[in-house]
Amino acid sequence: MSQLSVQSVVKRFGDLVVLDKFDLDVAKGEFIALLGPSGCGKSTLLRIIAGLERPNGGDLHIAGRSVTGLAPEHRNIALMFQSYALLPHMTVIENVRFPLRMRGGGDRETQRAKALEALALVKLDHLADRFPRQLSGGQQQRVALARSIVAEPDLLLLDEPLSNLDARLREDMQVELKRLHESLGLTTIFVTHDQSEALGLADRVILMNRGRIEQAGSPEDIYSRPRTVFAADFLGGANIIELDVQGSGETWHGTFADGTQVPLAHASDLTAGKRKFMLRKEAVVFSPDETMATVEGSIETQNYLGGQTRSLIKVGDIEIIALTDSDRTETGRHATRIGWRPEELIPLQDA
Amino acid sequence: MIGATPRWVLGATAFFLVAVGLFMLVPLLVVIASSLSSSEFLVFPPPGLSLRWYGEILGSDAYLNAGWTSLKLALGTVVLALALGTPAAIALTRFRFAGRAAIASVFLSPLILPSLIFAIGLLIVFSRYAAGPSFLGLVIGHTVITMPYVIRTVSANLADIDPNLDEAARVMGARWWQRYLLVILPQCRTGMAAGAFFAFNISFDDAVIALFMRAPGVETLPMRIYSTLEFSPDPSVAAVSTVMIAMTMLLVVLLNRVFGLSRIA
Amino acid sequence: MSTGTMRLSREPALLLSPGLLFLLLAFFFPAIQLLAQSFLTVGAEAGRFTLEHYAKVVVDDFYAGVALRTFRLALIITALCLLIGFPLAVVMSRAGPTLRTILIVLIILPLMTSVVIRTFGWLVILGPGGVLSWTLQQLGLIERSMSLMHTETGVVLAMVQVLLPFLVLTTLGSIGQIPASLEEASRTMGAGFFGSIYHVTLPLSVPGLASGSLLVFALSISSFITPSLVGGVRLQVMAGSIYQQMTGSFDWGFGAALSVILLVITLMLIVPYMVITSRVGGRT
Repeated sequence: MSQLSVQSVVKRFGDLVVLDKFDLDVAKGEFIALLGPSGCGKSTLLRIIAGLERPNGGDLHIAGRSVTGLAPEHRNIALMFQSYALLPHMTVIENVRFPLRMRGGGDRETQRAKALEALALVKLDHLADRFPRQLSGGQQQRVALARSIVAEPDLLLLDEPLSNLDARLREDMQVELKRLHESLGLTTIFVTHDQSEALGLADRVILMNRGRIEQAGSPEDIYSRPRTVFAADFLGGANIIELDVQGSGETWHGTFADGTQVPLAHASDLTAGKRKFMLRKEAVVFSPDETMATVEGSIETQNYLGGQTRSLIKVGDIEIIALTDSDRTETGRHATRIGWRPEELIPLQDA
Repeated sequence: MIGATPRWVLGATAFFLVAVGLFMLVPLLVVIASSLSSSEFLVFPPPGLSLRWYGEILGSDAYLNAGWTSLKLALGTVVLALALGTPAAIALTRFRFAGRAAIASVFLSPLILPSLIFAIGLLIVFSRYAAGPSFLGLVIGHTVITMPYVIRTVSANLADIDPNLDEAARVMGARWWQRYLLVILPQCRTGMAAGAFFAFNISFDDAVIALFMRAPGVETLPMRIYSTLEFSPDPSVAAVSTVMIAMTMLLVVLLNRVFGLSRIA
Repeated sequence: MSTGTMRLSREPALLLSPGLLFLLLAFFFPAIQLLAQSFLTVGAEAGRFTLEHYAKVVVDDFYAGVALRTFRLALIITALCLLIGFPLAVVMSRAGPTLRTILIVLIILPLMTSVVIRTFGWLVILGPGGVLSWTLQQLGLIERSMSLMHTETGVVLAMVQVLLPFLVLTTLGSIGQIPASLEEASRTMGAGFFGSIYHVTLPLSVPGLASGSLLVFALSISSFITPSLVGGVRLQVMAGSIYQQMTGSFDWGFGAALSVILLVITLMLIVPYMVITSRVGGRT
């Protein structure tokens, strides 16, 4: 039985359809990322799961119980807000104790002991008597996290959990979240617009676009086999190349606008005609060997990024961006030959 | 967070809002209704409708004179309050100097002294050091109580504006008078307008200072209304009051246009 | 360089001095004169120091009663304003833009209408054969015409309507600073609708509620127009007594003493009010 089941949920704000018959099933213990650009409906979905927004239609089950019309306080969930939403008039320990106090389990002392335990999990038990404003941003987030796990919720919801942290703290927190998830096994759903967060944390990534699921799957799957232009573009900003596809059986090739032909893999997905393909920037190499697809081009500009270099290469009228190790990069503007393994050209569905 | 509000709470809230709305507005509505009465007396419900009381006040020298006095008083107050308050607001928001916070609270202190007490002090001073209360005394009294509003609106206005504009003007070679005329004062426009509306409204409506500073031959509209209410209210008072309510509504609309009501609240 | 900095420090001084000078003469000087007047003898041997005016307030039962009534009414009025004003401010802070504008107009329009006119409205409502009496008769709740004029109930009703906007606006300033996510968070943590108001909104509005009530109380004890018109001479409050002393019986020393007592009490209330408001961001 699934821990969360979202069945054809619809949400409209006026004429704007934010969620369009949305379905989602989450198994117990899963770590799910809702990924998408702003306005794709991911935060609305999270708020509907939490009970803070009422859907216009559809059903919601948490841990086998229908919660569609239920107020947030009657769903056994926890939501960590992007702003943390720590209560400023309560100390850290009182903040963490709050869910226990509201749900009324045990006396004051047991509750405090439990809260202290949760704080120890995020290594903040020594700051229990401070007020939130006396803590740093990273510490505040840990308090918010402790407060979210203390009552052992059926569902842990995280709204952009890393967006308010600077780059270094973000890495620490990723480790922390993963570790907590592994040790507590809480079913966790988090919302993010950052593909690297989604790929780095989740067991399963739900890529959302305009109130629908664009693609769902494991991080590896969704990164290496995007199905649509949107998915390819959103996950890592790949080259999108349009080719004229010809062939049959196992041998197919694509033709660039200037007439250059390249061999294609993924034969079973192909049909003749114009088709868009994704080519990851990292898949492009200089001085290709004979097993690769090769094209003639010219280096237009380059940005040195340290370990890697980004090159803009013109192939006819098409621009291809290559991200290569700096020690394997030709430098300077000149005509050159680039290539990639045929299976790196991944056919996409339009729209 | 309507999504998580129980339905019966929404119902109770609607009831509460209607009740409070009635409580706040009915005192104004009954005044308007009374002004349309055809009766000589203030009875409810009015026996019939008529506009005769508006004709009555237009033909009454007492009301017309009082209206004229109130208008002169309010306009004089606006001019004086803007002239004294605007520079002070500029100094308090645009400069950092020792004692700034203390001086700011000195400027706002008339807000916290009940106008009743201030009125008595003013009455004592004018009786002892001048020939007694006068129209000028009223203008001065009203300027004191309205200047803080000008200072607050102009300060709020200036706080929203890029503090570097002034310096940019200097760098571009503007002399001090050019900075004030071309850069600083144009930026204060909305604040000054809002301050002027407040000052006009407060001066035009005040009865407390006016009643204490009663001078021979000087009667404002609120004074006239007060004394009529004390002795013999009739629907003509309601007609004058309705005209004043209409003016207040106009001011509220203007204030919303210029300044935004949500900034007052 | 030195002329530049000279100009900078001279500029605010020039801008401030007209206003400061004006306030000194037209505001602080009268306040001091009032204070002096309350300690000076009047009549044949005018101008000598005396405490007789203050003694009279304490000794005279009538004025002690007036003072007591003033404070009792102010307490009731403040409590009622809190009771109505807090929920109203909560609703206003959560309302959508349209409802919010309507509610703000509901508060601002009466606030900006002359107190004399609002009190006039209450006379029409409360008087014999007035709106209230008529309505209750129509509903069959009373048989004969009634009047709340010259009653404390009438004064309280009218005063609450006059002063409620001050409490609402002050509290709204405080509530407006509470992020919506705090209440939402408390809901997800198991607090009910009223639980989250009690545990989150209420404690965080305390600065606004405190400063609002102090303001309402201070305005209430010094109110003059509404109590004298609705309450009349039978229900005299301190402001009414002062008016009588200053313009009727011309006992200025006694009137000044009453005013100073009122002033001292007001300051005792207003100073904490200022401390609170400056801490939450300086607004009324």
